[in-house]
Amino acid sequence: MVDFNRRQFGGLLASGAALANYPALAQSANPSFMSFTFAEDPNRPMVQKVIDDFKAQSGISMEPIGSAWGDVQKNLLLRQRSKTLPTTAQLSERWLPAIATIPEIVDLDQALGRAKLEAAIDPAVLAMGQVGGKTFAIPLITGSIGMIANKEVLEKAGIGVPKTLAEFRSALLAIRDKVPNSVPFAAVTKNPSAIPLDFMIMVWLHGGRIIDESGKVLIGSDAGRAAMAFMAGLMKDRLIAPELDRPDSRRLFAQGASGFFIDAPQARSFVRSFSGKGEAADAFVLPIPTPVLKAGDTPRSIQWGHLVCAFKGAGMEDANAPGVKWLNYLLSDAVQGSLAPALSALPVTKTGQKLPIVQNDPFFKNWAQATGVPLTNEIGIWSNGPELATILSEEFQAAILGQKSSDAAIASMQSRMEASMLKRG
Amino acid sequence: MATGVDASLSPPLSPQPSPLARKGGLKAHERRIGRLFLLPALAAFTLVILYPFLRAIGYAFTRSNLQTPEPVYIGVANFISILGSPEILGAFATTAIYVVFATTGTVILGLGWALILNQPFAGRSALRALTLIPWVLPSTVTAFIWGWIFNSRFGVLNAVLVSTGIIPFPTAWLSTTSGAMAAIVMTKIWFSIPLFMSFFLAGLQSLDKEQIDAARVDGASNYALLRDHILPHLRPVLLVVVVLGVIGNLQQFDTIFALTGGGPVSATSVLSIQVYRLAFDQWDIGMASALGLLWVATILPAAYFYLRHLLKGA
Repeated sequence: MVDFNRRQFGGLLASGAALANYPALAQSANPSFMSFTFAEDPNRPMVQKVIDDFKAQSGISMEPIGSAWGDVQKNLLLRQRSKTLPTTAQLSERWLPAIATIPEIVDLDQALGRAKLEAAIDPAVLAMGQVGGKTFAIPLITGSIGMIANKEVLEKAGIGVPKTLAEFRSALLAIRDKVPNSVPFAAVTKNPSAIPLDFMIMVWLHGGRIIDESGKVLIGSDAGRAAMAFMAGLMKDRLIAPELDRPDSRRLFAQGASGFFIDAPQARSFVRSFSGKGEAADAFVLPIPTPVLKAGDTPRSIQWGHLVCAFKGAGMEDANAPGVKWLNYLLSDAVQGSLAPALSALPVTKTGQKLPIVQNDPFFKNWAQATGVPLTNEIGIWSNGPELATILSEEFQAAILGQKSSDAAIASMQSRMEASMLKRG
Repeated sequence: MATGVDASLSPPLSPQPSPLARKGGLKAHERRIGRLFLLPALAAFTLVILYPFLRAIGYAFTRSNLQTPEPVYIGVANFISILGSPEILGAFATTAIYVVFATTGTVILGLGWALILNQPFAGRSALRALTLIPWVLPSTVTAFIWGWIFNSRFGVLNAVLVSTGIIPFPTAWLSTTSGAMAAIVMTKIWFSIPLFMSFFLAGLQSLDKEQIDAARVDGASNYALLRDHILPHLRPVLLVVVVLGVIGNLQQFDTIFALTGGGPVSATSVLSIQVYRLAFDQWDIGMASALGLLWVATILPAAYFYLRHLLKGA
């Protein structure tokens, strides 16, 4: 039988203590970059190239940590609790208000210099990385979320680009009847992170708002009810489909099984990959102004971008720290002129936006013309954004799946959002 | 009384134990070693279960969300919020429906399948082995298989029903309240049957065949055999299987999350999913902890019943 003396027992306890501190031991010595683009198969090589080029230029190894888009917030908030935050992390612009509550987030006005950031980046773009007047993230790529049409599907259905919502509905009916097994409008109906974007545009197109700048919930309006009834009607007539997330929409569109969907300009990169046609797929990807309620109304789009934030700790000690050099490198023309166009997005720096590769790409010109001036995401700017998104998604699903009337869903959305904003204080 | 033995020849009884002897004797030493072997498991239990559980109890009485990264003590306010939230209370009803249907379905079909596999026929051993496949599959793989069966666009179920003209166009089964609930119940039953069947089969193999033969000679029907002989014999097994089934179904998370995510809306949002949503979708750790405690409370009666039965048997 095994027998332990006190010294051996002490060793056992020490080993246990070391195991208990495993997260601290497990932290890599290299600065790290958590990225959802790195986790996307078609886009991983692009991020890897940026990391490799950075190493060649600075001698610093940046360790990539892939995290699925939908899990980034979860991972960061859990890593904060286990003290294993990465040095830097890629964010969607709408997550920043929630992530900015992490005490370890770095004030980049201090780390990089506010004046330098303002000189390099347009104020409207830089604002995506700011909360409460402080810059907590640098923009990495930018653009807007708007509507895209599939030219081939429109031709098959014998229709043109719809200008009004009434024409849009007729176009969807034509696609349903003439393109077998299609989802005419691949609106997102499944993921609470993505549903609010599509519905927000619909609410704006009907002349309504969800929440104003002061935090007042406004969805319980005639416009809100009309937007919900419009979407519920599309579902009833099988013009949109249940169980669709954004990746599903991209695949349906790329495979010619959908006429329209809502996405960021990055859609072009996904369509190239998912269609199997590469750049030849660009021929049928058509950015269009969102159809409006009545002729003369303004088409709507949502401001969109990817950001990079940093967390206090190893790699972010001072202005010469590897993490700071990495952030500066991401804003260089070398990255902005390669990564952003490769992801079918616009560079964020003033010099990057003037690069020939951007200026000469007709897709960017068409996109800018189609989407016009994007508006700020009305849900993502609040620190209780995740809860608001869940409420909106649940009520939206309840209405389009026939569990509630559109009016009841909007009334419930209004009261639940008000309670959430009240709780937020 | 004289024994005839010279006492001076007997070995002298030592008043002191040998210096090499274990303190407190051999049994005490073995007890100490036993406790030492228990330490790793105890340490793991403390780190992985007890400590998080105690932390969760603490969080249940705090406001801990994105606006308050440092928890603020609020007494029983989270529990009051739960009682006032129809969405969260609905999760209790959803859980009850899921547990009742999943447990009942698995017990009935598991018993039926065990009765079939207890009969002598060619290929019985191969069929018994094949039956275990659903149990061996990872639960998320199982969920994806069933997700594909029920998929509204590419699903096998729709393909069969549309091609045979039973429905005019594909139906989104997982997007209806009853369809989604039926799907998660069927999935759970499908991969739980092998385990339940194994329990019942083991019980059936200890059944006295002569008793069955005698009953048959007396003219007992199959139903009478089941009612009067087989079920009474399987009663202890049935008790354990039902209790284990209830506990397992109360804890179920992975297949439901992978298949429906708790939706549509909250139609399949059982307590485990609701806790996850509160904690990781809405980042309300205080509310999630409070609901988690109530969830544990629903499991405790079944766990107590099972442990009591187990200890009685021991």
